Amino acid sequence: MKNLSILVVDDDPVLRHLLRKRLKIAGYSVESAEDGYVARDLIHKQSFDVVLTDLMMPGDIGGLEVLELAKEKDSSIEVVLITAHSSVDTAVQAMKKGAADYLEKPVNFDELFLRLDKIANIQTMYRSAVDLRLALSRTEGEAGQTIQMLELLCGKLQQSLDEIETTLEKDGATSEERVASALAIIRET
Amino acid sequence: MIKITPTELNLVAQYIQAISGIYLDQSKTYLFETRLSSVAEAHGCANYQDLYNLAKRDLSKKIEKEIVDAITTNETLFFRDKGPFELLQHKILPEVIDARSGKSALKPRIKIWSAAASTGQELYSIAIVIKELLKDSNDYTFTLLGTDISDAAIAQASYGKYNRFEIERGLDKKNLQKYFTLLGDSWKIKDEIRAMVNFKKLNLMQPFSALGKFDIIFCRNVAIYFTLADRKTLFTKLAGSLNDDGYLIIGSTESLTGVCPLFVPKRHLRSIFYQKK
Ligand SMILES: C[S@@+](CC[C@H](N)C(=O)[O-])C[C@H]1O[C@@H](n2cnc3c(N)ncnc32)[C@H](O)[C@@H]1O
Repeated sequence: MKNLSILVVDDDPVLRHLLRKRLKIAGYSVESAEDGYVARDLIHKQSFDVVLTDLMMPGDIGGLEVLELAKEKDSSIEVVLITAHSSVDTAVQAMKKGAADYLEKPVNFDELFLRLDKIANIQTMYRSAVDLRLALSRTEGEAGQTIQMLELLCGKLQQSLDEIETTLEKDGATSEERVASALAIIRET
Repeated sequence: MIKITPTELNLVAQYIQAISGIYLDQSKTYLFETRLSSVAEAHGCANYQDLYNLAKRDLSKKIEKEIVDAITTNETLFFRDKGPFELLQHKILPEVIDARSGKSALKPRIKIWSAAASTGQELYSIAIVIKELLKDSNDYTFTLLGTDISDAAIAQASYGKYNRFEIERGLDKKNLQKYFTLLGDSWKIKDEIRAMVNFKKLNLMQPFSALGKFDIIFCRNVAIYFTLADRKTLFTKLAGSLNDDGYLIIGSTESLTGVCPLFVPKRHLRSIFYQKK
């Protein structure tokens, strides 16, 4: 079992079934949608790592809209577009909007698996970066608390030392009196 | 990757400290190599001695800038450590506003400085706090300045654009929706916040009294890269740039004990800030 969940969106039943089957055999967990509307509902209901969508689909929700919906739901979802050679320009536009990659029809499965492996690697790295950052911010938080407590304590002690100095240097008091007030300050601290 | 020799290590470390104050542990050879190798290669240098010579000879300082960009750690996030921003909202801003109000016929001007602004998240967080607190109030003039030694960092800060990895860190959904617009795969700060701030390049090792005096200075997580002697000089200079009743905020794991006796630490809720003695 590979650890990526994939949503396949394609209105062409033959390609959709083929993609679904090949990805399942390769060990991915796969859902599929026959158009943009079904895809929209699935994206809202479930969480996916990757959305693999046809660029041109009938209706108001085409590949670009699926891309936007997925990114809106969770910007870490990677979207790979499947396009006819004639719409490569649109695919490039889509890359600018945040698509991870595009594949030209007819789909070459070796190429597809290669891209998916890359995405899986990036997502693993991303997750470990997030983990590291969480760990770091915990450590930083703990250290910060300790350092700030010591900082305040040092400040307070310095203040007492200053007071003791003034007390000991005070004119017009006997040495006993000075020592007594100095001791009083120390006991208060 | 080009390997660095012990002689070069010494030379480059001293050079970096001279141009930026950044003190690099010479035992961390990989740090020099991973960060500087591509700069050296880009300029056709076979080793770091060549890169050093080239940088010294380059009057345009282009290579020096590239070295600074490569060596600085720009790690930052929106609302880093949370505490200082709560402090700003609940204590510092109300107090500064109070102190500056009704003193003259002119609109009170409040000056805030993010002294190692990196890619701008710190200053934009401050601007968002102000916006949230004062809404569109026109009663005060705020000057928000962000400075950093890295040209690349300042350029990104000025542009105000963040990729999704940067944006996810520290910003909640509400502030993201309210103050950023989606631009392709990234997010850009809205003009209403962008217009509140200014960024420019500044090396904290050089004099900065020309910036004038500030009411609030954030100088967080930069002095950690300097030697103790340079930290002392820096915080003494910062005391000179802070109004007598001004506020200094340093990084949550930093300390001024033994660094600068001009400041006293004070506590509010769970956070610490410094004021002049
Ligand atoms: C880790 S970032 C801190 C950013 C932010 N203040 C924070 O706490 O999240 C440190 C920044 O200090 C800058 N820096 C390093 N040396 C500097 C110098 N001599 N003068 C000004 N900035 C410097 C670096 O370019 C970097 O962007």
